[in-house]
Amino acid sequence: VGDDKQLDLLQGTLDLLILKAVSLGPLHGYGVLLRIQQISGQALVIQQGSLYPALYRLEHQGAIASDWGESDNNRKAKFYRLTTAGRMRLDEETVKWNRMVGTMGAILLAEPEGA
Amino acid sequence: MRRAYSFLARLLAQPRSWFRAVSRRGRLEAEMEAELLLHLESLEADLVRAGYSRAEAARRARIELGSAVVHKDGMRASLGLRWWDGLLADVRYGLRTLRRSLGFTSMAVLSLGLAIGATATIFSVAKQLLYERLPVPHAADLRLLAWTANDKRGAVHSIWGDYAVLPDGRATSTAFSYPVFQQLRKENRGLQDLFAYCLLGGNATIHGSARQVMGAMVSGNYYADLEVQPILGRGITPEDDAKPGQGAVVVISYGLWEREYGKSPSVLGQVIRVNGIPLTIVGVNPREFTSANDVQTAGDVFVPLSMQPVIRPMPGLVQPLFDQELWWVVVMGRIKPGVSDATAQAGLDAQLAAAVYATMPVKKDEEVPRIDLRDGSRGLFTQERAFAKPMAVLMTLVGLVLLLACANIANLMLARGTQRQREVSVRLALGAGRARILRQMLVESLTLAAMGGALGLVIAYFGRNALPRMIENSWEPVRIHVHFDWGVFGFTSAVTMLTGILFGLAPALAAARYDVNHGLKENTKTTSRRRKGLGGGVLVGLQMALSTLLVIGAGLFLRTLAGLSAVDVGFRTDHLLLLEVNPSRTQYPPGKDVALHERLEAAFAAVPGVQAVSPSGIVYISHSGMQRGFVPEGKDPNAPDLSEHYNIVGNNFFATMGIRMVAGRAFGSQDTATSVKVGVINESLARARFPNQNPIGRRFSISTDASDGYKGRVMIQIVGVCADTRYSSLRDAAPPQFFLPYMQRSEVGVMSYAIRTTLPLEAVVPSLRHAAQQIDPDLPLG
Repeated sequence: VGDDKQLDLLQGTLDLLILKAVSLGPLHGYGVLLRIQQISGQALVIQQGSLYPALYRLEHQGAIASDWGESDNNRKAKFYRLTTAGRMRLDEETVKWNRMVGTMGAILLAEPEGA
Repeated sequence: MRRAYSFLARLLAQPRSWFRAVSRRGRLEAEMEAELLLHLESLEADLVRAGYSRAEAARRARIELGSAVVHKDGMRASLGLRWWDGLLADVRYGLRTLRRSLGFTSMAVLSLGLAIGATATIFSVAKQLLYERLPVPHAADLRLLAWTANDKRGAVHSIWGDYAVLPDGRATSTAFSYPVFQQLRKENRGLQDLFAYCLLGGNATIHGSARQVMGAMVSGNYYADLEVQPILGRGITPEDDAKPGQGAVVVISYGLWEREYGKSPSVLGQVIRVNGIPLTIVGVNPREFTSANDVQTAGDVFVPLSMQPVIRPMPGLVQPLFDQELWWVVVMGRIKPGVSDATAQAGLDAQLAAAVYATMPVKKDEEVPRIDLRDGSRGLFTQERAFAKPMAVLMTLVGLVLLLACANIANLMLARGTQRQREVSVRLALGAGRARILRQMLVESLTLAAMGGALGLVIAYFGRNALPRMIENSWEPVRIHVHFDWGVFGFTSAVTMLTGILFGLAPALAAARYDVNHGLKENTKTTSRRRKGLGGGVLVGLQMALSTLLVIGAGLFLRTLAGLSAVDVGFRTDHLLLLEVNPSRTQYPPGKDVALHERLEAAFAAVPGVQAVSPSGIVYISHSGMQRGFVPEGKDPNAPDLSEHYNIVGNNFFATMGIRMVAGRAFGSQDTATSVKVGVINESLARARFPNQNPIGRRFSISTDASDGYKGRVMIQIVGVCADTRYSSLRDAAPPQFFLPYMQRSEVGVMSYAIRTTLPLEAVVPSLRHAAQQIDPDLPLG
């Protein structure tokens, strides 16, 4: 499935992506996958199997909660939504991520001294 | 702040989520299945829309999603279920292994169950006897007033209550006189309000039928100070307790209410008779309330102290509430917040001395009692003296037995471990971690311990009342009902876990250390090699040591028991039957009671099969006694009181009890109410008071604080000397003692009859009962 245009996911970023995806509205598991791919412009590839353990871990930690409802094709589906604790965690991790990106960018832009 | 919040949210969410997952496991599995299936179908549908054939889409979707089994495993791990599942598997496997060796399992469970059961039983009895507090609010604040004084030179001469001589020679008691109580209550600063009570036993007539009841006469502030709120009606109030002889009201126990009135609310206002006195029921105590006296037995009836002169008149005293000599009420109070016990005791001590001088005569040489402020949270707590040491010994013994059981099972498991070496080696070779093997072994031993613990709990449940029954004697049944509670359950569980770890750890460590190569080889010459570690040697040594200790302990115990039953008490204990007659004072006032006992004595003697009968005031070896000042003629009657043990007996007493006369004669028919007052003394008293003299014919007087027929220092002539007998306890040597015939007294009250008969109990008791009923059908025989 690997394509040259697609990026492999950085370790530990899947949780953040899931939190962001469900922060835009409740989604079932497949919906989370679609939304991440859609927002990223199909640039990110997610190991489909690793999605569910991650969802369960976040729910276990209380960052997201789930309810059973109807999917688009009228099937029973488990919809995940963000909790207050999850919202805080998303904000926190976003700040952290941005700081990281900034730092990494600065490092990578550094020119050899006196060049 | 936000960080702390999310940390906390996570801390709360995880256990909840874990518990939900564990408790609704089937639903969780179905949901995981459904979720993955929906994913697969949605993916397939999208692929079909993208132009793939249905079959190709299904194939691609399956490849893209990957193995559902692996995903579900990951999901379970996310919920923290992996170790739980492993544990369940271990337990299942352990149970299967234990079932395969039934002999070993049943042996281990049985010995563990017995040991844990014994430990839990002793613990529950000890807990209830020694550690349970009174069922009242803030019981820890309660203090009990007691006093100590010189045994021979104390200023207090008459006590109706407990009295004990401490090892240091000082005497102690918890009885106070009413005037002293009143004054202490007024002057006391260290404690809150003081209240008083006196135990009351008697006959109650409820719905026309008589029964024995226990209870207390309480001061008017008793209920208020104890903060006990009756569940029906009201408690005893200061108004009830205002005037001596008045306040004919009673608060009954929950138990009595349940048994006799079927918990009917209309019980209020009904009348019961206690010792013949009609009392109006005004309240019902809460179910858990026993009394301020003790935790074990609930008092049935609570009446105002003011009722004492009518409901429990004392021989010779018209109004003992105001009597200055008799010390009889137990005084308690709550400590004031912020006041130390030492401060309160010092204050009370000074006030007690003042109260004693103010309310009673104190001779020059006599010592005024000193206050000893005690913990009152367990009531009078008389059981400590009797049970603290035996309980400690028993706890130690059963602890050792438990340890021995652990060592036995550890050794058995080690031996079994040899057989299981191959199995463990195979698992290690297949990649099981050593931690996993260790856990497997520990789970097995804990499972075993849990089964033993369950058995132990059953044993403790049914055995908890066996111990009190074993220690009760025929004269005074111990009315203790040990209840079963969560404390005992928790204790048993903790002991079970501890034993499981104790006997499981050695075999588990041994198993985890197995050498895979050795275990996998066909021949197992490795046995001796394995046991080199923390193996059998140490354990066998421990077993031997513990067994030896227990055998020696048991031997000493038996030796003591044999020694006690071999004690020569000084009288014949065989073929002796005892019964107590307690005539009501309203029906049998002084004088009439003597006549009643005379008729009873004759009636019992006439029963076929009865060889000899004699009533006595004190039953020997029953931890009760009476003392009275004994003054030989010619000695100063005002000298510091030298009191001696005595007994009030019938004419046939010495013959019935088989007590040998050493000199002179025993009492006989010539000793009547109108003849010369006579007495018999024992050898010890003769030696102590009449050294190198013949006491026969000498005269003595006794201290009188009651008009019992010896008023005004009447001289009593010694007519005989008898052999020594033990008095109140088997363990104490025979004390000096004198005897007076009951026929020469103006009143006697309660008497116990010793009846010598060769007939079996069940044959003679109905005839005795019949004989008593011929005289008075309402007379209760105990």
